[in-house]
Amino acid sequence: MATDTTHFEFEPGFTDNRLRVVWYAALAVLLLIGGAAMILRITEGMTSTNLTSTTPWGAWVAFYIYFVGLSAGAFLVSTLANVFGVSGMHRVDRDALFAAIISMVVALMFVWVDLGRMDRMYFPFIWRQLTSALSWEVHAYVAYIAVLVTELYFSMRIDLARVAERGSGLRAGLSGLLTLGRRSTSEASRVTDRKWLTRAGIVGIPLAIFLVHGGTGILFAVSKARPYWNSGLFPVIFVVSAVLSGTALVMMLYVLRTKLFDDEPVDRDLLNRLAVLLAAFIVVDAALTGIEMLIAIASLHPHEVETWAVILFGEMSWSFWWFMVGMGWLFPLVMLSKREWRETPWLMVLAGLSVVIGIIAVRFNIVVPAQILPVMEGLPHGSYFPSLVEWATSIGMIAVGLLLYTIGAELLPLTPLDRGDH
Amino acid sequence: MSSSNDDVQPGVPAVETAAMDAMVEIERADPREELAKTDHDTELGIAMAEDAKRVSRGDISAEAYWEKYDAAAEREFGDAYRETPNPSIQSTDQTIDAGTADSLSCTVGSIESVACEIDAASADEMDAATDGNRTRWGMVIDLQKCVGCDSCTVACKAENRTPPGVSYNVVMEEEHGEFPNVTRTNVPRPCMQCEEPPCVQVCPVSATYKMDNGVVNIDYDRCIGCRYCMIACPYGARYFDFGENYDDEVEGAGEITSPEYGVDRGKRQDGESPIGNVRKCSFCTHRLERGEEPACVETCVGDARNMGDLNDPDSDVAEMADSTRSFQLKESEGTDPNVYYLK
Repeated sequence: MATDTTHFEFEPGFTDNRLRVVWYAALAVLLLIGGAAMILRITEGMTSTNLTSTTPWGAWVAFYIYFVGLSAGAFLVSTLANVFGVSGMHRVDRDALFAAIISMVVALMFVWVDLGRMDRMYFPFIWRQLTSALSWEVHAYVAYIAVLVTELYFSMRIDLARVAERGSGLRAGLSGLLTLGRRSTSEASRVTDRKWLTRAGIVGIPLAIFLVHGGTGILFAVSKARPYWNSGLFPVIFVVSAVLSGTALVMMLYVLRTKLFDDEPVDRDLLNRLAVLLAAFIVVDAALTGIEMLIAIASLHPHEVETWAVILFGEMSWSFWWFMVGMGWLFPLVMLSKREWRETPWLMVLAGLSVVIGIIAVRFNIVVPAQILPVMEGLPHGSYFPSLVEWATSIGMIAVGLLLYTIGAELLPLTPLDRGDH
Repeated sequence: MSSSNDDVQPGVPAVETAAMDAMVEIERADPREELAKTDHDTELGIAMAEDAKRVSRGDISAEAYWEKYDAAAEREFGDAYRETPNPSIQSTDQTIDAGTADSLSCTVGSIESVACEIDAASADEMDAATDGNRTRWGMVIDLQKCVGCDSCTVACKAENRTPPGVSYNVVMEEEHGEFPNVTRTNVPRPCMQCEEPPCVQVCPVSATYKMDNGVVNIDYDRCIGCRYCMIACPYGARYFDFGENYDDEVEGAGEITSPEYGVDRGKRQDGESPIGNVRKCSFCTHRLERGEEPACVETCVGDARNMGDLNDPDSDVAEMADSTRSFQLKESEGTDPNVYYLK
């Protein structure tokens, strides 16, 4: 192993100290804004939102399913390396797992803020309802986070042990703690780690696809009162768009971390592989959404047709055309169309960012349109755009996620010490 | 005692006590005439009544009284006397001594013990008939009688003290056709209290559930405010309590709240349930429990709304719900509402 012979140096994190300061300062500003908004949210209660009894779910629910999807997608990318042994992917597996954990933390924060009674957040673990998708989901999330943490542990343990053994300072101390006492760096211990990594991954794949994110789709799809959601294809699209956003995130993080933290050349083969994968997922996502729309319109069910009319031509149709179609599908597809572009790191960061933002619009266009038309003729129509408090708290919670990720990336060996080339 | 004219109160007639007693005498029924109306011995009745007055004055003891009349009463009333508990013989608060009580022929036991037996018997009856005969509250709204005055909505807000943005009952007003051939339908919409409620199905903490009497309950102390039930309700009958108040409109608006589902929560307070919870019509459970109709039913000017037991085939609502004019909202949803409409 290369690290055995060379001088041991473990200093992940920003190579440019000025960039570090700028980044943390920017996060601090966002956290302050978010914190102030959170105080308003708690003191004023739900009146601080633009939600109504006609449109009871809004931005927070949209971001919640967005981050659950991001997490499921990132996790599934990690299994390409850990379970399916796709070559060259080990370089990104820890990053994907770590991002998946942070995404779940952010997702759960959004659910929490969305509760009318934030103080009762633990009630779903005391009282249950077997027929409620949400009741099952809450438990699936906990199991899923446990799998993610287990995966990351077995993926990273050997490097944690190496850092603890040979490094010094805060990072070595922290790494030593995180090995949970298993400090061997022998080949045998690596084989054991790999074995358990694969096992946890095998449990995690159906959990992530069917229970965590498919389940979140089911949560919507079972609502017969909202015909727009009440379709069998709905949970499938949920999972596909999750994988799409997860792949984009992992690709973006790979480039950014390699450039800004590791200061190494980007592996163009790996980048190209991720980019091709991303393009394939975009095509599947767009196609399935198209099928879903055609079935809905062909049904001539008034509620379905009118809901699609709201999405395509309504007040908020810009979010569909510009963000969902434009940033989520068209722009990245163009970026991904030439091999030369696919191997250009900064273009891929742009394409990844575009998808990651575009999928936010996908989530909003899932949650909101079904609550615009009244469930019965004669009841009031809904109209919803998030309030300033909703936006600012959302930004704050996302900033918490970015902060946690950055701290983790600065302290942990997220990039394999052997560069994942075994 | 005599009242003087000096302390006469305004509006209170100045009448001497003796005059009042005389007035009572005029109104008092003649004992002989009253007793003559019964099949029983008038003389025995008069004698017992006179001696009873002596007992209450303390002239004779209760023991002496019952020893004197026990045999005569048994002769006169037979089995009925023996089977009726004697108010003087109480297991906890007996007014005559044990020896005398034992010697009497009336030994059925205390009133309390008899009352308990009656309760137990009727409880057994209820248990046996739980599924068949339990009350299932239902509402039938005659759309031909509804004039669209919205007084049900107003009565509901007044009764349940619902905050701004929460209205358990609304009247959906629809106009169809083109002038001059237009029709207007008013469809009042309370909670349907579905037999198969989708809201109950989705609640992650089972805070909303069906009660034995057919009403869908919300436990405000358990609801976490996730609003999934509002998404699932096909009738838009559920409302979120955002914590707003009518303070600008009414002084002391939150001073009194309605004891919904029979729970008195006192004053409306920030951060206290039901603020942050989902709310809906309860068929005025608190009124049903004291034998009153829901406020909307009571107030309806055209008598369009009817309340009753759908499980009782002879009730008005059951007969109306069976009529050919009857229908439910969104029957295809499979929710089987307990609110029926007449076309």
